[in-house]
Amino acid sequence: MATYKKIRHILYPDLTITLALYTGLESCKVLRKYVMEGEIVASLLKTSMIVDPFQVLTAANKAVHLWQTNNMITKNVHSEILYCLSPSKNISESFRSFGAADSDDSVFVAVVDDAEDKTLNRISEILEQSPTDIDAVASLSDTELISKAYKLTEEELSVYPILDALVSRIAAKEIITAGKGKS
Amino acid sequence: MAVLQGAEAKLYVGDFYGRPCIMKERFVKNYRHPTLDKTLTSQRIKSEVRANLRCKMSGIQTPTIFMINFETNSIYMEEIQDAVTVRQHINTVQASETNPSLVFEQLQPLAEVIGQTLAKMHTSNVIHGDLTTSNMLLEGDPKDLSLFLIDFGLSSFEASAEDKGVDLYVLERAFLSSHPNSQNVFDCIISAYKNQMIDRTVCKEVLSKLNEIRLRGRKRTMVG
Repeated sequence: MATYKKIRHILYPDLTITLALYTGLESCKVLRKYVMEGEIVASLLKTSMIVDPFQVLTAANKAVHLWQTNNMITKNVHSEILYCLSPSKNISESFRSFGAADSDDSVFVAVVDDAEDKTLNRISEILEQSPTDIDAVASLSDTELISKAYKLTEEELSVYPILDALVSRIAAKEIITAGKGKS
Repeated sequence: MAVLQGAEAKLYVGDFYGRPCIMKERFVKNYRHPTLDKTLTSQRIKSEVRANLRCKMSGIQTPTIFMINFETNSIYMEEIQDAVTVRQHINTVQASETNPSLVFEQLQPLAEVIGQTLAKMHTSNVIHGDLTTSNMLLEGDPKDLSLFLIDFGLSSFEASAEDKGVDLYVLERAFLSSHPNSQNVFDCIISAYKNQMIDRTVCKEVLSKLNEIRLRGRKRTMVG
């Protein structure tokens, strides 16, 4: 059963973005170790910071575009996804707040260009389970924490869905954070 | 597929990973020096996106931004589906009702929402730059008054009463020329604007500027 999503990039149809969610884990420690050591190439995202897979897709779409146009801020496209997802200009802070931690019992995975789902299958092997429905990430999100991280205002949250506020901010990150933080 | 072409950009409709999307592509202007053209275009994209976001943050509905492609000078944003422009809506109301006082009665709630929205926008120091009834959309049933502001392509960030006054003046001119016999509706926008502005001094200054601009026109006299 296909519970994960593999999506073609809107500008680079040869490149795919795979999104998957794993829940009910004992910890992310082992998987994180594999990624740190470079044996697995993927972004491991903190589920509590995600309201909808579309939020990650917006960040991944942007990261792939920056990669293809040689405009990345970080070292590779998978760290770039993490950086794009975060509203912070500080790379290590972005990793800390949006990357999965050892103690997390769930993880949202994004993989760029995963031919024949090799990476995803390997992750499932390591975690000893298959991915669950990615839309279930909505039930794991911590909206209070998210609002704080992205500095969402009460006014905007009263008018439209939180996802729209996040997506706009992710897409426009370099534009809104470039100025002098005046409101 | 191009659906619309303006002086600055072409609009295409499409889909962004399942969401209805409009791509606004600013094209290269051959009459400008290439370096200047590049700088201007990228500045305009930035100020457009910034104004859109700042409005959003102050609780005004604007299209969600999906992606910016600086290589092609395009902005990918949400297409507001099932919407009419305020211009279309006013025309429909005016065409369907002959009694002027009933027309006013029907348009009054909309005028109030427009006034409140512009007051919020100016409170955040966003100058739209091209306020017309075509750059305001009503999503869904117009009676629901779900107002979106669009096209921030000429926007800027100014705290000055002069710029806010010009913004309102531009709307007044556009409003009265697109919708004859609607001075009372515009007055209603202004009075709602007045009620919504939290800062009374700023509000007073803007409205006295508006009167001043009405007398002299949009451009300031540059003598001396």
